[in-house]
Amino acid sequence: MTEALVVKDLHKSFGDLEVLRGISFEANKGDVIAMLGSSGSGKSTCLRCINLLETPDSGDVIVSGEKIEMKTGRGGKAVPASQKQVDRIRSRLGMVFQGFNLWSHMTILQNITEGPVHVLKRPKKEAAERARELLEKVGIPDKADAYPGHLSGGQQQRAAIARALAMDPQVMLFDEPTSALDPELVGEVLTVMRALAEEGRTMLVVTHETGFAREVASEVIFLHQGKVEEMGPPKQVFENPKSKRCREFLSTKL
Amino acid sequence: MIADALKSVSEGVCSVIGPVTPDNFVQYCPRFIDGFFTTFELLAIASVLGLMVAVPMALARVSENRLLSIPAYTYIYVFRGTPLLVQLFLFYFGLAQFEAVQNSFIWPVLRDGWWVAVIVLTINTSAYVAEILRGGILGVPNGEVEAARACGMPASTRYRRVILPQAFRIAWPAYGNEVILLMKGTALASTITVLDLMGQSRTIFSRNYDLMNFVYAAVLYLMLSGLLTWSFRLFEKRLNRHTGPRKTEGSSKKPDTAKAGVPA
Repeated sequence: MTEALVVKDLHKSFGDLEVLRGISFEANKGDVIAMLGSSGSGKSTCLRCINLLETPDSGDVIVSGEKIEMKTGRGGKAVPASQKQVDRIRSRLGMVFQGFNLWSHMTILQNITEGPVHVLKRPKKEAAERARELLEKVGIPDKADAYPGHLSGGQQQRAAIARALAMDPQVMLFDEPTSALDPELVGEVLTVMRALAEEGRTMLVVTHETGFAREVASEVIFLHQGKVEEMGPPKQVFENPKSKRCREFLSTKL
Repeated sequence: MIADALKSVSEGVCSVIGPVTPDNFVQYCPRFIDGFFTTFELLAIASVLGLMVAVPMALARVSENRLLSIPAYTYIYVFRGTPLLVQLFLFYFGLAQFEAVQNSFIWPVLRDGWWVAVIVLTINTSAYVAEILRGGILGVPNGEVEAARACGMPASTRYRRVILPQAFRIAWPAYGNEVILLMKGTALASTITVLDLMGQSRTIFSRNYDLMNFVYAAVLYLMLSGLLTWSFRLFEKRLNRHTGPRKTEGSSKKPDTAKAGVPA
């Protein structure tokens, strides 16, 4: 069986700052991987390298057996060999952002049908039906015709999750999905994410919610200064961390 | 056809306002109205064509490809950086100096002040509008562009569906301002023989030496700008539905009971 997602020896620098220094991991279908680490450890950059929102300097990303081809561009920097391939792979990766990033000029329903209709070329009607199912699933069926600006943060993030799901992604990427929310709104988003995990979705979650990582994740990766410092099932990482830094990090969280 | 229709319109208007307006105006009413429509026509054609030129120009200007961005930058720099009057004179009197131009197929257009005015106003406003649109494009929240990239939208779809619709909304008030400036700019067309509202007022003035003519012209210009301001504001409200206060939802729909959240 091919892994849903394989990341091999990912490197990324911003100028002199080396953010990722060789990150490797794999996710099988149905895995929920939580990525933890203090700020600046490279976890968001790692996630953004997977769908090429940042271009990794070296290393491989393989989605469902398809490797993203890179070539050397002008100035010796790595660039994607084919933008078409990048777009195709992106359409298979659902991304949920810290700041929701819903398209503010479209209604919630339009936000959700936009990708299926204009990227996957599905019929409008079918996409709208599916969008309503998804809104039901994330618990805001009555917000279909509202604009993002009229929703609370938690509702916006749930709509953003529905938007990502509408593409039927093979892997869901969450970039600190609850960090921009008021504390009382965090729960509703985590509830939706938990339901997705139980459905058997493959998820990669960058988060500060150690509670969520502990209960929901099948695997936890702890990043420190651009490297995988600790990796394993949550029980092991949380209860018996081998690395000192991971222990220190967890002690500030618990 | 159109001229006949205009004539009957202006005669109608004159007969209605005749009894309550100064004699001088009544006497030259058809000329004022004719000039008013010429001004309006110049404005309408130049603003529509200008916008059509401005959109690709703005896209070229923000492009990472220097073969596109440098020519666009130059175009904007030149036509925004020189006075409209200078441009009109160069196109109308300047180009006519070249025999090659006089012999070319384009001469029938370039010797006609009206067409030169249309061309120059279009070029001039397109440079301004391209710059206004560029601001709009750069003002689109980066996160929303990223979300479009993340779902696999190619650049063309991204521009068509996410970036330009938002850029237009951002640029709209500034664009409305530019159309009003353009309206006032059309008055310069009178210097190259166009009988627009200003041109007609000057013609009438040369006959009766009554400065009130320019007051009448000013009032007509004011009416036009009032109309423009009003319609731009109306459309702005429609464009910005998504930022306005939330519409009261139908009573059949239940509000989300989970929370009465403050947007984060």
